[in-house]
Amino acid sequence: MAAPQIPNLNLLRRGRGRGRGSSSSSSSSDAPENSQAGRVTGKDRIVQSTDGDASVSRLSAVQLGYLNDPFARVLTPPNSAQRRLPIINRGTYVRTVAIDQLVDRFLNDPSSTGSHCKKQIISLGAGSDTRVFRLFARRDYSSRLIYHEIDFAVNTSAKIRTIRSTPQLQRGLGIEETKDNVSISDAGDALHSPSYHIHPCDLRSLKADPSITESLLGIDRGLPTLLISECCLIYLLPSEAVQVLTFFTEHLFGSPQGSSEKGELQRGCANTVPLGLILYEPIRPNDAFGRTMVSNLATRGIQLQTLHKYSSLGAQRVRLLEQGFRAGQAAADIDFIWEWWVSEEEKERVAGLEMLDEMEEWKLLAQHYCVSWGWRDEDDSAVFDGWKTVPAQSGD
Amino acid sequence: MSDLDRAIEQLRACRLIPESQVRELCYKARELLIEEGNVVSVDAPVTICGDIHGQFHDLMELFRVGGDVPDTNYLFMGDFVDRGFYSLESFLLLLCLKVRYPDRITLIRGNHESRQITTVYGFYDECIRKYGSANVWRYCCEVFDYLALGAIVLGASSELEPSGSNANDLTQSTIAVDDGELETEVLNSRGEVTMSSYRPRQRASSDVDTDTQDILPPRDISAAPSQTSAPTRTGAPGTGASGDGNGSSMTSRTGAVLCVHGGLSPLIDSVDKIRLIDRKQEVPHEGAMCDLLWSDPDEIEGWGLSPRGAGFLFGGDIVKQFNHQNGLSLIARAHQLVMEGYKEMFDGGIVTVWSAPNYCYRCGNVAAILELGEDTSNGGTIARSNGEYGRSNGLSGPSSVSSPGRRYRVFEAAAQDTRGMPAKKPVADYFL
Repeated sequence: MAAPQIPNLNLLRRGRGRGRGSSSSSSSSDAPENSQAGRVTGKDRIVQSTDGDASVSRLSAVQLGYLNDPFARVLTPPNSAQRRLPIINRGTYVRTVAIDQLVDRFLNDPSSTGSHCKKQIISLGAGSDTRVFRLFARRDYSSRLIYHEIDFAVNTSAKIRTIRSTPQLQRGLGIEETKDNVSISDAGDALHSPSYHIHPCDLRSLKADPSITESLLGIDRGLPTLLISECCLIYLLPSEAVQVLTFFTEHLFGSPQGSSEKGELQRGCANTVPLGLILYEPIRPNDAFGRTMVSNLATRGIQLQTLHKYSSLGAQRVRLLEQGFRAGQAAADIDFIWEWWVSEEEKERVAGLEMLDEMEEWKLLAQHYCVSWGWRDEDDSAVFDGWKTVPAQSGD
Repeated sequence: MSDLDRAIEQLRACRLIPESQVRELCYKARELLIEEGNVVSVDAPVTICGDIHGQFHDLMELFRVGGDVPDTNYLFMGDFVDRGFYSLESFLLLLCLKVRYPDRITLIRGNHESRQITTVYGFYDECIRKYGSANVWRYCCEVFDYLALGAIVLGASSELEPSGSNANDLTQSTIAVDDGELETEVLNSRGEVTMSSYRPRQRASSDVDTDTQDILPPRDISAAPSQTSAPTRTGAPGTGASGDGNGSSMTSRTGAVLCVHGGLSPLIDSVDKIRLIDRKQEVPHEGAMCDLLWSDPDEIEGWGLSPRGAGFLFGGDIVKQFNHQNGLSLIARAHQLVMEGYKEMFDGGIVTVWSAPNYCYRCGNVAAILELGEDTSNGGTIARSNGEYGRSNGLSGPSSVSSPGRRYRVFEAAAQDTRGMPAKKPVADYFL
């Protein structure tokens, strides 16, 4: 396969630096050549840094035996390894296996036999996430999965540097630069290979603009697709978070592949592709724990901007419905998922890894994070049938 | 001023003492603790405290709310260290106070006073960070091994003296005072009464109704209907609860109160069995000693497996039976975070006291301490219901002991920057 042309990635940066605080003077019509570094706000930098926090937690859970992830070490910044408290390790474990289960059920739906049934995953704010490597390490998935990651250029650059310097990761992806089946942008922030794409892109810039659609190289608008936001959209303004999802649900996957912008008119018609969304984020900001969480994170400069809008399991379900995931909307907090998704045997194994000193604290923490998942499947293609039997939590 | 007093002063300012002094302190503390039984006897009045977890500034707030040592007699139910950033300052201060005022402060062991747990939950790292070696950690762990496993509080009054500065204040609810004994009272950190409950003076059985007055927003002690409001009053910490000496408790006596960090054990059916344990060791992974430090009460029948991976869950029937057999009126324990600071369960047979507000700088909970007053109705002679079955007086068998009057002081996390003490900005972990 010939190396795909590297798009002008600066196009994607348009719209950055919109009106929060002092940066409003630089309008979005600025020349696209504007250097990115000059326009990254302090807030963005803090959000970008949350990725390092997550990868340290992941490595801690892996090293203690909670998770099996041979890629965790190389994707954690060197010298940052740190043993997390048992309560955090358990939370990292539950969050990871919960999303793994939903992803597996998406990739393993009953209709997906044979090689023609390719599927696509788009991970928003993926950062140093190892999921793509873990999935491609499985032979049953590697030939029929296209995986996209979208994140700030600073995060994608770091990941691409790691991939370039780590043969283990290249082997996992089946790519070799010498074989010409991978291309990396001059800036080192975009990667394209037959089945794995890393897009340097501020999610807030995603809008119904042909140039942006074309720049998201390799996204197949005709494939059954799963969107994942793991602690990502919550850092955006509520309107931005909606806009990002709408970009996918209406613009990118709202009309049959190949249609022009006139496709707007065909939105909602029967031949839209099956599309699912998994969200993982904090909830319940209004009790004592939630209030403390909000203020503690605020002192670190972290603002959970959509937290109050999507503050409960119910609000998450409504959100999914409003984004057009009509076939199903469900949610469960991490406490529920630990109780109901993890087998007794596995629970015993995990509980044996470290003594949890304070169960009430675990429940409190776990009840403030939720996984929600919604899907649309208008052809009744059974792509998301596996999600119908996942235990969901009722109530708020 | 003695070296010890100087050390206390220094630690109160949240400044550490030299390693050599820690070593000496730990040696003295061990000499003192080795003389204590597994179950220490403590006379009321006493103020019972739950987990501290290295939240030094909140421990200072506790002393502000509950009164200072030695003015107030304290019983700390363990978990001095781990999780918070000032385990060393907190534990060493408590230990200094113990050595300085051995009869005014009792320390019993929590599940975190253990080598294994402190290496996971922070105390070990803190020792390395602050002293540059594991020596101090080792000295402290040796002290842990000598801490008592429980305490028995004797001579607690069944009735609280209203915490008003003037007990005969006409503005208080005359109905309640005439008809009942003040059984429980909850005060906020400003000393204002937020809830009080009364029990009738004429005791038909041990299961009497209580009337509750909700004055400020209620705590979850009782679902009994509210009565008329009484005004807010201020009470002196640590001294407020004492028997009124008017003979009202002639027909009943207050059973002893067992204090233990975690709870009961299926291997322990009497307080005496606790006394037989060889405690001077690291907390084992299982067995009676482990259970006492790890178990939790739960809304189950009998015994259950603990989700913590150590100890057991025990139900109300177990508590009732144990209290009855041992002439106890109450078990006070810590070990479990409760958002309201304290939680009574099983008709008041057991109470959890939690003294670490905003636990781990993350949980948003309030904390509480429990004051038990002194029963002066017998001219100061303590009715010896010390947990030995069968030694009840002739009037009332072990089943008819009445519960002690209980005054809870609820407090919030200290405002760290107002005290001029060093306070590292706490960073609580979240999933990001």
